[in-house]
Amino acid sequence: MHPNETAIHDYVDAALDVRERSEIERHLEACAACRQLIDDLREIRRVAASLEPRDPPVRAWTRLERAIKLENAPHAASGSGAPRQRVTAPLIWLAAAAAIILATIVGLRLTPKAPQPAAPQTAVNAPATPTAAPPDDPAHSVETELRQAEDHYEKAIKGLEQIAAAEQGVFDPRTAATLQKNLAVIDQAIGESRAALRSEPSSEPAQQSLMENFKAKMGLLQDTVALINEMRKGNDAGAARVVSGLKQRGD
Amino acid sequence: MGGADAELAARCQTGETEAFETLYRQHAARIYALACRMGGSAEDGEDLLQEIFLQAYRKIGSFKGESALGTWLYRLALNHCLDYVRSRQAKMNKLTETLDATSSFEPLARHDTPIARIDLERALERLPDGCREAFVLHDVEGLDHKEVGAVLGIAEGTSKSQVFKARARLRALLRGR
Repeated sequence: MHPNETAIHDYVDAALDVRERSEIERHLEACAACRQLIDDLREIRRVAASLEPRDPPVRAWTRLERAIKLENAPHAASGSGAPRQRVTAPLIWLAAAAAIILATIVGLRLTPKAPQPAAPQTAVNAPATPTAAPPDDPAHSVETELRQAEDHYEKAIKGLEQIAAAEQGVFDPRTAATLQKNLAVIDQAIGESRAALRSEPSSEPAQQSLMENFKAKMGLLQDTVALINEMRKGNDAGAARVVSGLKQRGD
Repeated sequence: MGGADAELAARCQTGETEAFETLYRQHAARIYALACRMGGSAEDGEDLLQEIFLQAYRKIGSFKGESALGTWLYRLALNHCLDYVRSRQAKMNKLTETLDATSSFEPLARHDTPIARIDLERALERLPDGCREAFVLHDVEGLDHKEVGAVLGIAEGTSKSQVFKARARLRALLRGR
């Protein structure tokens, strides 16, 4: 008889006493299936323990820095004594993008049934976050939420597209082509998600897919803005990291 | 807490952006990896990373130096990830089941070839929230079952069964058996 599942995993975790361990080992001598199972589980454990930290996208710091600046702004104006920061070469056009991104991404993470609950967020994103209707309001439907989310994504995307278009000249032809190619792929996916939703408006996978595609487009445009930022700062290494990320998106 | 940590914390507490950027650069990769794995996708990981560091910025004034700055940040990150996953779990059960039933995953590493990290990362995204959390905390982050139970608010035995379930699921995804 095979050992039970708990004993197998405890064996893999070296959590058995000597007697239990020997019992399993006796069984393993005669059972190829259990040997295979244990080899697989050990391999999964080994690889899991070797997983490494992951560098976040370059734009993540840009987003965070802008969020901090926006968060500090009202305190600074009111002289409330809240933490103040050294302002380093603000780029106004990026602040506008950050405000849009914050309002959209931080304040509005799509859930299929209800608005995102209360992450203790800033006053910064409050004005642009859609006003949630009471849960018992019949108009508060998935479709309404989807429309609101779509609306916000489209506004944010439009803002970012304007910034990217205004700065397009800074890109070399190859990078510009990569950006265009990636955008075209995402736009096509958005079109397909919309078509799927038109034929089946209540399909949750289709709703999720549309939002994921909007997020992907936001991500690409945010990378574009981060790239512009790095190039303007003369940070070749930072720009190279963003370009590498853009190419991976396209692979 | 080391002297460098204390100095960095003090500078962050005065609101110095450069100091906070140093803190970010030191810890973002670990926090981002945790957030991606707990959240189940790079997109969620990026949003969580931003929220975690914003929270850290707001709460840095309450850091008293009783632990290393990295430990304090890690706890904050872990709690934030758990809050997010729990609130999502409550709302997304139905959707998860739907996607689970309809989507496919072609095992990339079969039989006796070593499993590539990237394949494991991809497979992790396919796990249900509950067992993914326990697996990440136990097999990736190295907590024991007692600690996992305490973090997740579940019994030690439940932590074990969730980790076992995750491994079995990963085996099916990665080995096709």
